[in-house]
Amino acid sequence: MNIRQAIKMAVKSILGSKGRSMLTMLGIIIGIASVMTIVSTINGMNEQNLKQMEAMGTNRIDVSAYLYNGQNAFEALYNYCNSLGSDLVLGVTPNSNASATVVYGSKSSTAMQKNQENMWSMDGSQQNQGNVALPPNLYYGSDQYSVCNNFTLAGGRDLSAIDIKNYAQVCILGARAAQNFFNYADPVGQTMQINGLPFTVVGVYAEKDPNSNWSMDNVIVFPYSVSRLIQPGTTMNDFTVKAASAEAAVEATSRISGFLTGLTNNGKSGNGYANSNNQWQNSVNEQATMMSLVLGGIAAISLLVGGIGIMNIMLVTVTERTREIGIRRAIGAERSSIVTQFLIEAAMLCGIGGLIGMALGTVATRVAGKLLVHVDIWPSPAITVGAFLLSVLLGVVFGIYPAAKASKLQPVEALRAE
Amino acid sequence: MLVKLKDVYKIYGEGMESEVRALDGVSLEIDRGEFVAVVGQSGSGKSTMMNVLGCLDIPTRGDYLLDGTDVRELTDKELSHIRNKQIGFIFQQYNLIQNLNVLENVELPLIYQGIGADDRRDMAMEALERVGLSDRVRHKPTEMSGGQQQRVAIARAIATHPPIIMADEPTGALDSHTGHEVLGFLQRLNKEGSTVILITHDNGIAATARRVVRLADGRITEDQAQEVDWL
Repeated sequence: MNIRQAIKMAVKSILGSKGRSMLTMLGIIIGIASVMTIVSTINGMNEQNLKQMEAMGTNRIDVSAYLYNGQNAFEALYNYCNSLGSDLVLGVTPNSNASATVVYGSKSSTAMQKNQENMWSMDGSQQNQGNVALPPNLYYGSDQYSVCNNFTLAGGRDLSAIDIKNYAQVCILGARAAQNFFNYADPVGQTMQINGLPFTVVGVYAEKDPNSNWSMDNVIVFPYSVSRLIQPGTTMNDFTVKAASAEAAVEATSRISGFLTGLTNNGKSGNGYANSNNQWQNSVNEQATMMSLVLGGIAAISLLVGGIGIMNIMLVTVTERTREIGIRRAIGAERSSIVTQFLIEAAMLCGIGGLIGMALGTVATRVAGKLLVHVDIWPSPAITVGAFLLSVLLGVVFGIYPAAKASKLQPVEALRAE
Repeated sequence: MLVKLKDVYKIYGEGMESEVRALDGVSLEIDRGEFVAVVGQSGSGKSTMMNVLGCLDIPTRGDYLLDGTDVRELTDKELSHIRNKQIGFIFQQYNLIQNLNVLENVELPLIYQGIGADDRRDMAMEALERVGLSDRVRHKPTEMSGGQQQRVAIARAIATHPPIIMADEPTGALDSHTGHEVLGFLQRLNKEGSTVILITHDNGIAATARRVVRLADGRITEDQAQEVDWL
């Protein structure tokens, strides 16, 4: 008996008992679909996290400096960091939130504040899932703000050192803030009211985080020197330094710490510290890897359970079909023919189950991506093909035992079975 | 000599108190072209005899020469080939495979012989024509009467043109009319040169055989030829 015959026979046998075949496949379908969904969703989530971290900027050093005499430590830090050279430090900027009312025409941050409050009902559940305009985050920045925060210009110009020196009433909008206030019109050159003061929009940043209402693009950046116009009496104590590389971040962190020690007179006239955020990112990465491992393990177990289900059904099938095996042996089937037949049947069941599982897993991955992570996820081809091959392999592995058992029966014993 | 049993024993649970001697020292010779009925009550050992003769079971002791070959020395694979090529089985319960149609059932032994699809189909159709069922080849066994199913089983047995036809109570599940029809087929096959071994408990059926071997308690009690009047 050749392989083509064996395959034809397996097809006939599978079609001949559809109910049993479906039950067998069910285990593998669920197993494959869940492995695919879990692994793909985690991958998508990790990718999303990574993208977000990249957008936020890697190799950032958070610096805090506070002088008891109320002086602004930024200018000294700015000059020091820029003296370190571009192979260590790429930029330095204050990292302070501003608080002000922003108005342009009929749009105002006060109304957007209402939107934000209305998103949550009394019981704390989120009500409005749609794209609503939320109030922008306002920052005081230096001319190096965009470098430090991974922004690139989409239009107009960036903040300049002269803006800061001259207390220029200008601002740069993030892509989301620009959309919220100007829809799709070009904001460059327009004037907005900040706490009642006129500010000219001189530039717009390119979009870097398109996914959520709380986007990193919903920002407005002012020259830090105008804080005295917007919020008189504000001092800048928190800063962000962008290092040139991961190695440079280590070196720069230690140098800046040394500089801060000098600046604060070893803590007598102030305090300060410098921390690299690379460490935090590493731990986030580690956590993501752990999560993949744990959930991947759970998925693998579900696949294993599916495989054992197949083995059970195959065993029951053999018992049920002992008489058929007896008949086949009586009219001349060799042991190897019986083994081949059952193996191919098992492999085909798993293959078909695997295909259905793949389709189901793709749908489930898409749905999970949309609902859980709000990202467009397609299962990777590697995972899809891997899951399919795994399902056929499971069929062969779990088909061998019952097939071997079936073939060992003496024809006369098998024929006696009811 | 086609079939030669010499001092054959089939003992279940040998050495135990409850040991059963299904065959208790049987010697028998059957020549090519004979029509032999093996007759006995249930428990006489006739089914065991059929299993041994049909290479479905191996005797505990004794020699079985089939066409000069010592069956006890053959491997499982060689035994499969003998069942496939030398012997055509007809069972009381027809033993057709339920999820295959009539043609597929008859083709099955030819598939195990490795015969190509076209030849296989021709041979199976020829066998089905001989039993008068060539118009029902796409039916499933469950859609047919007992007599028809037994004719399918006969077609399957003769499709490979085996020298020996072995029938185990072939009329046991049939009414007397269809039973006679089945016996008629066996007689015709014998006339055409096949050796037919018929196992039965029914003396009436045994009376249609040219030679009757009686079994009781695993031993042959009578072995005689008789004149029969075949149509």
